[in-house]
Amino acid sequence: MNNKNKLRCLAKRSFSMLGFSAALVGAAVSYSASAAAQGPALKAGQEYMVVASYPNQLHVIDAEKDSLYKSCDMPGRFGPGAIQVAPDHKTAYVLNNGYEDIYGVNMDTCEVTFHAKMSQASNERTKTLYAFALSYDGKELYTVQNPTILRSDHYEVQPTRLAVYDTSAGLKAKPIRTFPSPRLVTAMQVGKDGGLYMAGADIYKMDVHTGEYEVAVPSRNWQRERYVQPDVLNVWAVQTPTEDFTILYTTARFQEGSEDLNTADWLYGYFNINLATGETTTQDFAPITEIYFTGTRSPKDSNIMYGVLNRLAKYDIEKQELLGVAELDHSYYCITPNNDGSKVYLAGTYNHVAVYDADTLAHLKTITLPGGDMSTTTAQVFIR
Amino acid sequence: MKNRNLPRLAGGVMVAGMLLPTTSSYAADAEQIIRDNCLLCHSEENASAPQFSRMSHQRKTPEGWLMTIARMQLMHGLKITDEERRTLVKYFADRQGLAPEETAGSRYAMERRLNTMESFESADFEQMCARCHSGARVALQRRPAQEWEKLVHFHLGQWPSLEYQAMARDRDWFDIALEKMVPELTSSYPLQSSAWESWKAAPKADLAGRWSFSGQLPGKGDLHGTMTVVAKQGDRYEVSVDGQYADGSPIKGSGRAIVYTGYEWRADLTIDGVKVRQVFAASKSGQQLTGRMFEAVHDEVGADIVAVREGSAPMLLDVQPEYIRAGSRAQLTLVGTGLGEQVSLGDGLQVVKELYRDDNKVVVEVMADAGASEGARQVSAGSANGASVNVFSSIDQVKVVPEFAVGRVGGNGGSTPKYNAQFQAEAWANGPDGKAGTEDDWRIGFVPASWHVEPFDERAKADRDTEFAGVMDARTGKFTTGAAGPNPERKMSTNNAGNLKVVAAVKEGSETLTADGQLIVTVQRWNNPPLP
Ligand code: HEC
Ligand code: HEC
Repeated sequence: MNNKNKLRCLAKRSFSMLGFSAALVGAAVSYSASAAAQGPALKAGQEYMVVASYPNQLHVIDAEKDSLYKSCDMPGRFGPGAIQVAPDHKTAYVLNNGYEDIYGVNMDTCEVTFHAKMSQASNERTKTLYAFALSYDGKELYTVQNPTILRSDHYEVQPTRLAVYDTSAGLKAKPIRTFPSPRLVTAMQVGKDGGLYMAGADIYKMDVHTGEYEVAVPSRNWQRERYVQPDVLNVWAVQTPTEDFTILYTTARFQEGSEDLNTADWLYGYFNINLATGETTTQDFAPITEIYFTGTRSPKDSNIMYGVLNRLAKYDIEKQELLGVAELDHSYYCITPNNDGSKVYLAGTYNHVAVYDADTLAHLKTITLPGGDMSTTTAQVFIR
Repeated sequence: MKNRNLPRLAGGVMVAGMLLPTTSSYAADAEQIIRDNCLLCHSEENASAPQFSRMSHQRKTPEGWLMTIARMQLMHGLKITDEERRTLVKYFADRQGLAPEETAGSRYAMERRLNTMESFESADFEQMCARCHSGARVALQRRPAQEWEKLVHFHLGQWPSLEYQAMARDRDWFDIALEKMVPELTSSYPLQSSAWESWKAAPKADLAGRWSFSGQLPGKGDLHGTMTVVAKQGDRYEVSVDGQYADGSPIKGSGRAIVYTGYEWRADLTIDGVKVRQVFAASKSGQQLTGRMFEAVHDEVGADIVAVREGSAPMLLDVQPEYIRAGSRAQLTLVGTGLGEQVSLGDGLQVVKELYRDDNKVVVEVMADAGASEGARQVSAGSANGASVNVFSSIDQVKVVPEFAVGRVGGNGGSTPKYNAQFQAEAWANGPDGKAGTEDDWRIGFVPASWHVEPFDERAKADRDTEFAGVMDARTGKFTTGAAGPNPERKMSTNNAGNLKVVAAVKEGSETLTADGQLIVTVQRWNNPPLP
């Protein structure tokens, strides 16, 4: 029991910085789908990074020049601005409007080509807590929805559900299939075999045709000798060049023959699912000395892990050794490597995208976005 | 560690202006207001007496009712006037309040003692329900199972991220809330209780009259005086206060009070130009009032108060100061009512001279024998008793009270005032075994000290917290927090937060005794609900 308490404390500090509750207060939807094209189309073969920010824009950054390429106005209200990029690298899907709607934005034209309201009834208020992903071929969109029925003098929280959308359904997309889903799901990604990986209490794998699911990587229910239940908070489903779905955890490992937390080792680790092969990993990589909101491995050296929140840190996973740190001007939530692994991009919470040399951790550039902060947006790097 | 500080989070509005203008037959008025405004969403139920969905199936404090109705306005768009809201709060608090026994142990929340360390037997309760707000907010309500269940649905329906937060995502929060907490809450805090049935039936006292009160204001010291209460219509009163602090400075002011549920005294007064609020509970007999009087804006500044009605059975409320040193001569002030001629102070203490006397107050000069044994003496003045004085020969230890406090930056043009911190030095004797930290140690009382702050740890030292987080008044122990907002002089332009060690130094003969506590200075709390 005791062991869990201490872990919670630690993690609590990190979570409070997210301020979800504040961002979650409901409001009415109003938007027009006719957004004019702003800025040039993306160029084939060129590397870009995409983020969203207040007041409500999607920003495409040229990842060679590390400068703003274009910004698209988005419908509805900003928040949280979580993003998944379609496999054809043309459309960015954004969870927005107070966690209640998903929009597909054509990055060439800034046109909104897809819109799904999470709510399925007029007296239903439905939020998605970052839980959405695209099928491997981009034809389907999966979301885990948290509905509440608003009766006139009381609320009824409903079971969570997986809703499947056809991405070609346009601006009034309705689910084509729904299944019961476990609660507490956040980040999701789809494997090459079509299975949907859902990070919740454990990491599940769901058959999106039958709704059946099983535990792919145990987390809350892991059975690791001498380890306490890990704490996981991951709302950033970063799509990596290596097709790795990576989630950090914190835990404690007792000394041999002891159950004493005071002498236990406090550890950072990561769960990984390689989406191409289905291979799964649970691996410690560092003692806990500070909090990271996201971590990602280097695309050119899978033994290197980067973590970010108040500092940018770089670890040798096998040796569990800190290789270097960069002091930051403020917190960044989300880290994303570029495709060749030469740079890392830091985004989230302010309107700064910071670019660092992946090898030396030297600061290369800070790109200041027009408008306000990025909240908990997901920074995604891709080659068009 | 079960003890926690009260979190300062969550939505709501201030108890501001709970005082009602006069209304007669307010029950009929209230029911009309409900029919006209609430039945848009709620329904009237089939029953002999008027009964409405949700609202007729809960009991809570006046502050609890205010929060609920304010939520109807803020979240659901209910439109009523302030006066209508006051009528409803009075109506619900009277008909569906809590019995005195039901608020005992949780009054600190109404009294706004925000540095209270809460602790509950049920670990589930602490983790599930006392994480975002005080446990007292919950313990001050009574509901049947369906209503506790609807409250759980409201929480998760309103804040879907709740179950993803730390201390929630490690468990099946929603299932535990419904399957475990609802039964636990229903049995701990049921709608029906014999305490409430008997309180409902009991006669309620009119609180008009003259009251003798005593109290202690941290940073300022002992106080006493009289409070004159004149009845108006509908449980409302006019109040005037006339008293003084130990240093002789006056306490003078007036205002208005209302009594809810037959015993919940709430007064808004202006005393010496400062707006203050009284949150008192009347005893069942209506002869005593107990609670806290605090500044309306800075509710961290407040005095514990007890009062007894003139003309009730003789009673001694307090001896000020609460201690005397063996072998010394000192003035003691006895406060109460019906104080008789014969002042008895117990072994080793003699009245040398009587300096002042009226029915509520006697001031005596007292000699304590050098050989007087250490410990408490029951004091009486005629048949008035109930208070004691501590005889000590030396101060052996000092403690900082509170041991741990949270202050908050504020002001600086922002809408949130500073939340300052006030510390006191408490003197202790080691007791017969002469050793500190053992069972027989005993508390002497609050003593003057000189105060300063130091960095709590290496981190606080490196960040120079003592220079930014605020200023300690060396004489009073009052810490005034820093200004709100980012500070360009600090690393990463962070705000004026800090982690400080609070040090008290007390001179005892040629020695200096020191003690320390901890003060966390943190950011403002953005809203300030009536119940923390
Ligand atoms: C616009 C619709 C609306 C109006 C008008 C309205 N309510 Fe409500 N009320 C609700 C809803 C929705 C809930 C359930 C969600 C919640 O607890 O906030 C509720 C819940 C309640 C509850 C239960 C709260 C709890 O803590 O379990 C009470 C009591 C209540 N209302 C009293 C009132 C009173 C009294 C009025 C009129 C002065 C009123 N309501 C007017 C919509 C309304
Ligand atoms: C995530 C934070 C959080 C948790 C956990 C939480 N609460 Fe609350 N609770 C709130 C907030 C915020 C409000 C204020 C609602 C308002 O503005 O009226 C509230 C209000 C309340 C109220 C007052 C409602 C009324 O109108 O009378 C009660 C009673 C209460 N909570 C009980 C509980 C219980 C019981 C639990 C555990 C099952 C719980 N809370 C867990 C955040 C929380």
